[in-house]
Amino acid sequence: MVTIDLSTLPVRDANEAIRAAAAAGEDIEVVNPDARHHIGVGLVAPVTVHVKGSAGYFCAGLSHGARFEVESNVGWGVGDSMYAGSVVVGGNAGAIAGVALRGGEVVIKGNLGSRAGQVMKAGTLLCCGNASFLAGYMMYGGRIVILGDSGDRVGEDMSGGTIFVGGKVENLGSDAKVVEPTAEDLADIRAFLDRYGIAFGGTFKKIVNAGTKLRYGVNEPISRPLPHPVFSEGETYWNAKVVEDIHAKSLIGRYRIRGYGASKPLPHFGDIALKVDPARLTPTQDALDGVNLAMTLGDRHGAVPLKLSMPVLIAPMSYGALSKSTKMALARASRLAGIVENTGEGGMLPEERAEASQLIYQCLSGRLGWNIHDMLKADALEIYISQGAKPGLGGQLMAKKVTKELAAIRGIPEGIDLRSPSRHPDIMGADDLVIKVEEFREATGYTKPISIKMGAGRVRDDIKIAYKDGFDFVQLDGLQGSTGAASTEVLENVGIPTLAALQEALDGLKDIDAKNDMPIVMMGGIKDGVDAVKALALGASAVAMGTAAIIAGGCISCMQCHVGNCVVGIATQDPEHEARYQTEVQAQAIARFFEVVRRQIAMLTKALGHSDFQQLSRDDLVALTPEAAAITGLPYDPTYRAASAELLTKVA
Amino acid sequence: MSSCKPFSLDLSADQSALPHYQPPPCQVACPIGTDVASYVGLIWAGDKEGALEAITATNPLSAVCGRVCDAPCEPACRRTKSDGPVAIRALKRWVLDALGPTYKLPPVQPDKPQKVAIIGAGPAGLTAAQDIALAGYRVDLYEAQSRPGGMALWGIPDFRLPASVVQEDIDRILSRCPGITLHLDAPLGETVTLDALRETHDAVLLAIGASKGKNLGVPGDDLDGVIDGVSFLNRINGGDRPILPAHVVVVGGGDVAMDACRTAKRLPGVKKVTVLYRRGPDEIPARKYELEAALAEGIEIVYGVAPTAVEEANGGLSLGCVLTRAGAAGTDGRKVWTPVAGSEFDIACGLVIAAVGQKTASLELAKHGLMDGNHIATREGDMGTRLDKVYAAGDAAFGSSTIVQAMYQGHKAAYYVVAALEGNAHPVPYRTPYRTRAVPVAQDPRWEILGLAEPPFKGISGDGFSDAEANYDDQTAKEQAARCYRCDSETGSADYSVKMREAIFAMARPDTKPADVVRLTSERLAMRPHEPRIGRATFDDLVFLPANLTRLVIDPYREACKTKTPLGEGLTLAQPMLVASLETTPDVIRSAAAAAIASAGGAHIGREKLGDGFPWLQIVDAPNAGAPEAAAVLLRITKTSDLAMPKALRRGQLRGLIVTPESAERALPFAVEQNADLIVLDGTGHLGETLADLSGAPDLSLMRRAITILRGLKAEERFPLVWFGGLRSGTDLAKAMSLGVNAGIAEVSAALAMGGTIDAAGMSFPEPDAQKAEAALAAFLKAAVSECSMMARCTGKTDVHNLEPEDLRTLSLAAETATGIVMAGLKRTA
Repeated sequence: MVTIDLSTLPVRDANEAIRAAAAAGEDIEVVNPDARHHIGVGLVAPVTVHVKGSAGYFCAGLSHGARFEVESNVGWGVGDSMYAGSVVVGGNAGAIAGVALRGGEVVIKGNLGSRAGQVMKAGTLLCCGNASFLAGYMMYGGRIVILGDSGDRVGEDMSGGTIFVGGKVENLGSDAKVVEPTAEDLADIRAFLDRYGIAFGGTFKKIVNAGTKLRYGVNEPISRPLPHPVFSEGETYWNAKVVEDIHAKSLIGRYRIRGYGASKPLPHFGDIALKVDPARLTPTQDALDGVNLAMTLGDRHGAVPLKLSMPVLIAPMSYGALSKSTKMALARASRLAGIVENTGEGGMLPEERAEASQLIYQCLSGRLGWNIHDMLKADALEIYISQGAKPGLGGQLMAKKVTKELAAIRGIPEGIDLRSPSRHPDIMGADDLVIKVEEFREATGYTKPISIKMGAGRVRDDIKIAYKDGFDFVQLDGLQGSTGAASTEVLENVGIPTLAALQEALDGLKDIDAKNDMPIVMMGGIKDGVDAVKALALGASAVAMGTAAIIAGGCISCMQCHVGNCVVGIATQDPEHEARYQTEVQAQAIARFFEVVRRQIAMLTKALGHSDFQQLSRDDLVALTPEAAAITGLPYDPTYRAASAELLTKVA
Repeated sequence: MSSCKPFSLDLSADQSALPHYQPPPCQVACPIGTDVASYVGLIWAGDKEGALEAITATNPLSAVCGRVCDAPCEPACRRTKSDGPVAIRALKRWVLDALGPTYKLPPVQPDKPQKVAIIGAGPAGLTAAQDIALAGYRVDLYEAQSRPGGMALWGIPDFRLPASVVQEDIDRILSRCPGITLHLDAPLGETVTLDALRETHDAVLLAIGASKGKNLGVPGDDLDGVIDGVSFLNRINGGDRPILPAHVVVVGGGDVAMDACRTAKRLPGVKKVTVLYRRGPDEIPARKYELEAALAEGIEIVYGVAPTAVEEANGGLSLGCVLTRAGAAGTDGRKVWTPVAGSEFDIACGLVIAAVGQKTASLELAKHGLMDGNHIATREGDMGTRLDKVYAAGDAAFGSSTIVQAMYQGHKAAYYVVAALEGNAHPVPYRTPYRTRAVPVAQDPRWEILGLAEPPFKGISGDGFSDAEANYDDQTAKEQAARCYRCDSETGSADYSVKMREAIFAMARPDTKPADVVRLTSERLAMRPHEPRIGRATFDDLVFLPANLTRLVIDPYREACKTKTPLGEGLTLAQPMLVASLETTPDVIRSAAAAAIASAGGAHIGREKLGDGFPWLQIVDAPNAGAPEAAAVLLRITKTSDLAMPKALRRGQLRGLIVTPESAERALPFAVEQNADLIVLDGTGHLGETLADLSGAPDLSLMRRAITILRGLKAEERFPLVWFGGLRSGTDLAKAMSLGVNAGIAEVSAALAMGGTIDAAGMSFPEPDAQKAEAALAAFLKAAVSECSMMARCTGKTDVHNLEPEDLRTLSLAAETATGIVMAGLKRTA
C-alpha cells in the first residue's frame, strides 16, 4: 500500500506516483483528496485505489482494470470511458456519471446528477438513490440500474442498452419505452446488488429503446449529382438542381444527405493569385534542394511534437465513412510521405496504427471507439468540436455502413442510422474544455500534443478560447470541408469559407497578442500544393488535405459517399465493394500525389525567392476578386497575371 | 457542306477545351476518339438513335466494331479496376444490331473537280474514302478481291463477324458517298498501275493491307500441310469448308492464331486443335476474351513452346518443338524467351497453321522504291511516301494492327490528302478530335452495384459458323450502360470540378515526370476565378455561423426547435412556412394543397379561399374587396397604387399591406401610422399575380430597407413581417427570418413539390394526382420546417424566431450591400 497525500502533491505528480505504484502491483491510498480533478485517470493496472474523501471531475476516468473506492462524493464524469474495473462511490455523483462507459462497474451509493451514463456502451452503472434528468441519454449499450426515482426524460434517444428503475419513472425520454423485465434480468441485478452488499426489496421497470428513430423512415432516392454549372452559372433561379431538391424532399419529408463539401462556388484560394513567374518553375532534380519544408507541430506545452517532412497533414476521416482498405492506404501514404494521418471519428484501426508512422487520434462527442489504450498508442490527441462540412451538428453514418465489425469498434448497435451527438457530454463551454484537455494530459503523462478540430463559425472568438484552453495546435476547417454524409443544407449554408476562416483566426490571435503562438492547420478545399502555398502565405502554419488525397487514391467525385455502395470501394463497408479497392496500388498513388504536392510547394517557395516555406508571406499574394480582397485585405488586382502565365494561357 | 464533314476531319470540332468537359479515358484510348460516354449515356436514356449517331460519327465501320473491335477503350475504362469495365463494345453491337441495317444518311454529292485514287477497300481505305468523298472529292476505290472489306471480311471468321455485317457498313458508306466508285477485282500492278493512277488522279492513297502471312521460318515450313494463318482464314471466309486432319496445330498467340484455331475446330474431320505459343500466358498478345472463347471451345493452348522443324511422318506431319524459358527483360522491356537445351520433342499432327505475323508484299510498289522491308515507307507526320502525292495508311504502312487503328490512319491520311488538295501545304498536325454530346448521367440507383455482364457466349453451334456470341437483351443493355462512371461529365461540385479531379489524378499517376509537375502547376497558376453568377444577390450568398466554442446554448441536447409562429391576434401558426396562390393550378392540386396546409398547421395566402381548417390570408387590390371569412385581408401596394388600409369586415379580422421594393418607402410609414396588423414584404413585386415567384431572384434588399424604415419610426416590432420571394427550402426561410421577418411564403417551391413542372407557359401539372400531391406538399413543408429548425439549432438556438442577423454572414459584396450583413473574413462593417 502506497499513500499519496494530495495536500502536498500536485495531481500531475500524484498520478505519476499512482501509476508507478500500480506498475509495482501496489494498492494505493489517496489522502486529503480535497475533491481534486482527474484522480487516477488513465490507470491501467488491476490495483485498488482508496480515495479517503471526495474526488473531483473524471475520477477513475480512462482507466482499465483498477478498483476505485471513493469514501465520499465525486464530481462529474466519474468513470469516464472506463473499460473494465470498478468504482464505488460512498456518496453522490455529479453529472454524467459513467459517461461513455465501455465496461466495468460504477456504483454510486447516493444520488446521480444529470445525464448519467450518457453515450455509455457497456458495463453497469448503479445508483442507489435517485437520478436527475436525462439518465441514459443517447446510451448505446450497457445497463443503468436506478434504485430510486428516474428523473425527467429517462432514456432520451437511447439506441441500445437497458435502464432499470426501482422507484418512480418520472417520464420517458424521446424514443424510450417501458417493457417487462425478464426473470433473467432481475436475477442478474440481484446478483450484482448482492456482490456489492446492497439490499433492495422493490421491483423494477425496464426501459429500452422504442425503435422509432433508429432509422430514417423513407430512403432518399439515389441520384447522381447534376453538373454544377446547372446552379453555379447563369441566372436561372429555379434551376434543375432546385427542382430536383424539392422533388426529393417532397418524397422523404426531410433534408437531403450526400457526401463531399459545399458544392456552390465560394470565395476560395482560386480567387487569390501567387505573385510568381511560372517561368521560374524548373523541372530539374534539385527542385527540392535549398528549400526547407520540414516542421514540427504540437510542442507548445512540452509534448513530443509531430514531425512533418512538409507542412501538410492528412485531414481526419473516419473508418466508417471510409473502408478499412482506404484508411490503410491513407495511413501507408502518410508514412511514405513523412506526414501525419488522423483517425477521424470512430476509433483507431489496428491496421491503420501499424501503417501510419504518426497518427492523430480523434475524440468525438459520441466517444465512439475512444479508449485509453489507443490514446497511449497515438502520437497526438485531438478533440473534435465540429467540422467544416457540418458545424453545429453531429456526424452521420448511414445504416448500410454500420456493419458488425464497425459497430464493434465503435461500441454501438449494428445497422442503425448513426447520428452522433452534436456536442460533447462533458464540454458545455470553454471552462469544461480546459478540464477535458487536462484529463487527456493526465491520462497520457503530458507527452502527447493535444489539438482541437473546429469548423469555421465565429472563428475570431473561437480561436481565442482554443488558445486560452491550452491546445497545442488548431485544425481549422472551412465551409469547403468535405464529409461522408451530411445534410446538403448544412453543407452549403453553415459556416464560413476557408479563406475567411483563416483570416479570422489570424486576426483573433493578433487581437490577444498571440500571433504565431499557436499553429493553425488549415483545411477545407485545399486541393494541391498551389492551394497549400497560398494558405501558408496567408498565415497558416500547415494545411491538411482529405478529399484531394481520396481523389488521388481513386475517388471519382460522384458524391454518393453516404449511400455505402461506393463504386471504387472507398466510402463503403460492403465487403464486395471494398474488395474493389487495391490498398497498395492506391497507397502508392496517394503517396505520389503528396510527392507532387511537396515538389509544388518547394518549387513555388523557391520561385518566390524564399529558402523556407515559413518565409512565404502575404506579400506573395494578390486578390483577383473584390470578395477575396475584402475577406483577406490583400491588394485587389483583377488583371494580375504573371508575364509568362499570360503567354501560357494564350498558347492554350 | 461543312456540317456534313465527317467530324474526324474537322479539328475545329474538338471540344476538349470546353470548361466543363474532360475527354474520358475510354475516348482518349480510342484511336478515332469515339464519344463513348455519350453513347453509353444515350443507351441508358433509351435514345438508341442518338447513340447510333454518336457511334457512327467517327466510325464508318461501326457494325464491324460492335462485333470485333479490340476495344482499347475497355482496359482504359476506370471501372476496370473496380468490378470490370463498361461493356463498351458489346453495347455498340446492341445499338448496331438494332438500327445498323436500316441506318442511312443523306448522300453527299461530290462538288469538287479533283479525284483521289485509293488502293484497298479495307478499313483504312474505306475510312479515307468516306472522309475524302464527304469533303466533296471523287474517289476511285480499287480492291484486288472480288468483295470489299479487306481483313475485316477476309481475315475474320463468320462466327465472329458475319460477312453481312461488314457489308452493312460498306453499303452505308457507299450510299452516303455517291462520289466513291468501287472497282473490284482490280489488283494493283495488274488492272491498275501506280503510274497510271498518278496521271489520272490528284492523289493516290495506298491502303493495300498486310495480307500475306509470314512463313514459320523453320525447316520444312514449305511442306504441304503447312499453311499460314491468313491464307487459311481467307480460304474459309471465301466459303470453303475442307475436311481437315484430326489434329491441327496452330503456331502463334495473336488474334489471327485465335481466329485460326477456332475456325479449324469448326471444320469437319478435326478432333483436336493445339495452339503453341513460345512465351507465357502473361505475354500472349491475344485478347483475353478471344483466349477464353478458344479455351471454352475446347482448344488446347500450350505455352513456352517454339517450333524447330516440320517433317512428313506416317502420312501426316511431325512438328519438332523445343521448350522455352523466360529470361531477363530485353531491350524492349519484354522478357527474352530462350530454348531449353535437351527439351526437344515432336508433335504428330496433320496440319500446321503458322499464325506468326503478316506482311505487305507488292512488286508494283517495290518497283517504285516505295517499300521498306515488309511495309511501305510512310512518314508518320503526314502519311506521305517517297513519291509526291502518294500516301499510305493502314497495315501496309505501319504493320499489322487493329481495325480501329486502321480507321485512325484512314482518317489521318484523308486529312492530309484533303489538306493537300485544298492547297494547304502546312496543315495543323492531325490529332484525334474529341467531342461530347453532353448527355446527362444515368440516374440508375443500382449503378454502383450492377456488375459486368459479358454478352452470352454461345460457342460452336449450328453449322459452326453462326454467331459465337449473343447480343444483349434490352434490359441487360440498359443495366450495362448504367454502370458507366461518366468520367466525361462535370461533377456536382464547383470546387472539385472535373478538370480539378483530373489534375489530381494526373498528380498521382506513376508516369508523372518533374516536367509534368511544372506543366500541371503552371496550368493551376493560370486558372482564373469562377465567373460570378449573373443577377441579384440571392439567399445562396448568405451563410449561417455555427455555434462552436462560443455561443454554446444552455440546452444543447434537445434536438427539437420551437417553431410556433404568432402572426397577430387569432393567427398563430404551428410553423412559419405559409403557402401562396395556387389559383391557376388544377382543382385536384388545390384541394390537395388545402389538405397538406391544414395538416402542416400552416396558412394559405391568395386571392381565393383554398379550403377549410387553416387560416386564409386574402390578397386584395382594393380596400373594400375583403371577404369576411379571411383571417387577414392584405391590400397590395404597388408603385402607383394609392395608400389605403383594407377594411375589416368583422371583429378580429386582421388588416395588412403587401409591400413591394418599389412601394416600401411610401407604404411602411403609412402602415405604422394606420396600425396595420400584418405586413407582407414581397421581394418579387408580383405577389397576387400568377406564379409571382417565377419572376426570378427576389430583391433581398427589401428586408434591409423595411427594417431600417421601421427602426427609424421606432416601430420595429410593431407588426409581424412575412416574406415572399424565392423561398426554395427551409434554409432560405431561416435566412429570411434571420434578416428580420417572422414567417415566409412558399409558392413555386410548393407547386414544384406537388408535381408541377416549369415550362414556357409558366407551370403545368402533367399528371395531377390528389393523393400524391397532398403527401408531397406535406412532406415538403415538413422538410422545410425541419431545415429551418436545423439552421436555428446549428447557430445554437432552440426557437426559430430567435434567429437574428448576427447569425449570418454574406459571401459576396452584392449580398452585403443588399442585406446589410457583413462578409466573413477581415473585420469590416457592411
